[in-house]
Amino acid sequence: MTFKEALTHPWLTVRVQIALGAIFIVAALPKIADPPSFAHMIYNYRILRGDLINVSSLVMPWVEIVCGLLLILGVWVKPARWLIAAMLVVFIIAISINLARGNAIDCGCFDVSAAGKTYEERIQDMWFVIIRDLGMLLMCAQLAFAERVRRTASVAVE
Amino acid sequence: MRVRHPVAQSVIIIALAAIIAVVANGFASRTRQLKLPGYYPNALQVPPRVPVKVPPPARTEPDVVEPATTTTTAVITDTTGTIVPATTALSTTALSTAIAPSTTVPATTTSAAPAIATTTPTTAPAPAASAPKKVDLAKYPPHPDKAYVEISGEEAQALHAAGVLFLDARRTSVFEAGHIAGSHSYSVWEADIDDKVNKLYEERSEPAEQNRPIVIYCSGGACEDSHMLAQKLWGIQFNNVYVYKDGFPDWQQRGGAVRTGGQP
Repeated sequence: MTFKEALTHPWLTVRVQIALGAIFIVAALPKIADPPSFAHMIYNYRILRGDLINVSSLVMPWVEIVCGLLLILGVWVKPARWLIAAMLVVFIIAISINLARGNAIDCGCFDVSAAGKTYEERIQDMWFVIIRDLGMLLMCAQLAFAERVRRTASVAVE
Repeated sequence: MRVRHPVAQSVIIIALAAIIAVVANGFASRTRQLKLPGYYPNALQVPPRVPVKVPPPARTEPDVVEPATTTTTAVITDTTGTIVPATTALSTTALSTAIAPSTTVPATTTSAAPAIATTTPTTAPAPAASAPKKVDLAKYPPHPDKAYVEISGEEAQALHAAGVLFLDARRTSVFEAGHIAGSHSYSVWEADIDDKVNKLYEERSEPAEQNRPIVIYCSGGACEDSHMLAQKLWGIQFNNVYVYKDGFPDWQQRGGAVRTGGQP
């Protein structure tokens, strides 16, 4: 088995898809449970206009949970995957902007309560979040690559 | 009709999520609801880095409380049954109408505490509490040119002792876990904040009433909730708002009167 075959093998693809879906469902739950705290988290990023903060904090968790469910159920996988990838890119950019300007924040990714960390701990966490989000972006890439290989193979068979 | 295009499917997913979000928000409890659209005037301003404040060591020796005609040492009973000793100097003339005594537990002393369930007057001072200095409220004149003035913990204690209205800008759940005795929950992140502010405005509609001091606090450090609430109040003509910058953690460090539960 070549590296490409291993990377696009259905055994791996299914597990990556379910794992990614589960991660986004788990991430969405605390935000859905406490929208004001999530709104506070988004406010702390200081990159969104004030009138958009509440709307974003209400809608984004539901987009996460719907996409997560679709990935797990295997329905509308492609748009769910692209939406998740788009959100990850937005998260990475948002964290990077705040790292660049030295604004240490709690990311609010899986927990919307203020953790009471020090400035240095928050900065360290932000770097970790970027690496983690890049990892999840790779999972999206694996899903996209596997689907492309599968399509190419099926076209060749036809 | 089957939707096949991924872009159209993505739009449907987002629309579905938006509909669910709006419906869920409509049915959410008061403390978990968000107002649409939100109003956060400083949303794009990056706050300056707040230096880490090393809290002073808690004092272990009891302080000597100077006798004063308006001073009452009370035991504050919270809703969960915890008894918090506190030394409070209260003036009945300075009490706000918005901080009426609790109706659930009647006060038994003549000097009414703002919603403090005063059960047993005692002369035993709080172990870590420092006696607040008597404050002259004339030293806190209205400042219509600015939304708020930041004050220290010492000043906050003095104003608290003078019966000035205290507002807690933190989330209701945090307020219930512990707050400055007599303070009222005014979380800026919850949907009913405008209703609460409007109610306060109705209670203090006279200009003279609006010029009475109000102290707002949150969690200290980088917490800006108190500043946001101060700006809201300033926007409706409250011209004498003070932000207790170091907030509740500092109050606890000073051994100030603390109460748990939803009541002031």
